[in-house]
Amino acid sequence: MNKSIPTEIERFDLSARIQHIILFTSFLVLAFTGWGLKYAYQEPASAWIRFWGGARSAGIIHRVAGIILLMDFIYHQFYILNLFRKKDLSLTIVPMPKDLRDLIQNFMYYLGLTKERPSFGKFSYLQKFDYWAVYWGMMIIGTSGFFLTYPVMVSSIFPTWTLAWIWDVIFTMHSDEALLAIVFIFIIHFYSEHLKSDVFPMSWLWLTGRMSVDQLKHHHPEEYERLFGEKKNK
Amino acid sequence: MRYWLNVLLLLLLTLVLVPAAGAATDAATCLGCHGSMEGAVNVNQEKFSKSVHGSMNDCTMCHMALKGAQHQGLAGGKPDKAVTELAAAISPKSKIDPIAGAACVNCHPDVYASYKASVHGRNVIDKKSSDGPICISCHGSPHYIQPKSSKESAVNHFNVVQTCASCHEEKMMIEKYGFTPNLVERYKESFHGRKLKVGHGGAPSCADCHGAHDIKSDKDPSSPVVGANKIKTCSKCHPGATEKFVAAITHKPLHPIAHFSEIALIILTVGTFIFIIIHVLLDIFADIRDRLFRKGGSNE
Repeated sequence: MNKSIPTEIERFDLSARIQHIILFTSFLVLAFTGWGLKYAYQEPASAWIRFWGGARSAGIIHRVAGIILLMDFIYHQFYILNLFRKKDLSLTIVPMPKDLRDLIQNFMYYLGLTKERPSFGKFSYLQKFDYWAVYWGMMIIGTSGFFLTYPVMVSSIFPTWTLAWIWDVIFTMHSDEALLAIVFIFIIHFYSEHLKSDVFPMSWLWLTGRMSVDQLKHHHPEEYERLFGEKKNK
Repeated sequence: MRYWLNVLLLLLLTLVLVPAAGAATDAATCLGCHGSMEGAVNVNQEKFSKSVHGSMNDCTMCHMALKGAQHQGLAGGKPDKAVTELAAAISPKSKIDPIAGAACVNCHPDVYASYKASVHGRNVIDKKSSDGPICISCHGSPHYIQPKSSKESAVNHFNVVQTCASCHEEKMMIEKYGFTPNLVERYKESFHGRKLKVGHGGAPSCADCHGAHDIKSDKDPSSPVVGANKIKTCSKCHPGATEKFVAAITHKPLHPIAHFSEIALIILTVGTFIFIIIHVLLDIFADIRDRLFRKGGSNE
């Protein structure tokens, strides 16, 4: 092994790690406070709401957490712009046709149809999906949440012919997509970063931001090639 | 001397034990029998004494016209015109003692005046409908009546929806009176209904928008939820409410567009669940397979 290859690489810088912590804290608070209202007629909704200090305070906490998440999201856009300005931005997070091929190959590997695992870049298709899911969530849940917070103001921008159904659609969007986000996170994210046998009980990446080069080589071979491939050939 | 003292004592005792004619209608006397009787004529003394009316000691204040030999001589005041009229109107509904059922108006004349003009009142008084609500339909028995602030009150902020629903959710009543179907269901699904359910004191119950004793039909232009009045009603909580804003709440069945977008979202959500669950399960399967049968496979 070439000596110029370090044992660890920095995958997420400090700003990204802090953004992530704010993201998941506000997300969890939103999920927990909103859950009581979504399932208001299923016990233990009332106990759940009491935990947050009653319906009024749960509502206020929910709104504050929503604003924090929105700020975090906006900050992230500036963070990306800044990376772009510093020419430090790699487009490895953008979904490509290769991701679809990787997906198919991965399923074939699972089913024993091929012995080759797909060779992922810096981010696997599932990680890209996870990342862009936040944009989807912000668009659907964030927008509808904003509408529901300021119904009087927002109603003036809706055309009259939509008024008979628009609020029901907004309400369903907010609550169903929130459920989708929660279940998605609890299944995919918790599986890949906590339960999966090679990270159990937890991947430390979110705190250290660092990934071992062995892990990188194994899980993201293309990124490994991109970073160290040429050096290796020298 | 001693003889006369004994006589006096016995006389006093007799006076205490045998209720005088005037005191014969006090609650204790009536409860002597009605406290232990079975069925509709039973009055639970403990619950009665804890009720708002518990301090009223004269049963004949309301039970002015008692029937039967057992009540001989137990007459209260003479029911006035308002009571007699209302009693006649509610007699198909209040079979045991319509006079008592109408006697509420003696002490609550203001409430009666607005009830009389309301759609409920007109239905009962003018149309003599036996299924229209009278006082006890919503408030329960006057013997056990609780203040509105009590959690036990049927018209408490958090209970009144269920009380209204007892008629407005009834299929027979919906058909007879042409109520909006699933109206209560739609309210309960709404933000207002959910917030009320989880104990938000500021969330509106039925009465907060529609009124209570003065309730109006939605065909009545003076209804608080019709036309310009609706804007005023919504503004109580939503300052600056406009015509476009107040269109949000109708309790009408879900619009087809809303219905189908809900289905689309459910398909999207369930589809994603199925996909990720299969994905995770296959990953676990492949992981175990590789570790067991393909030595070194997962470390390379």
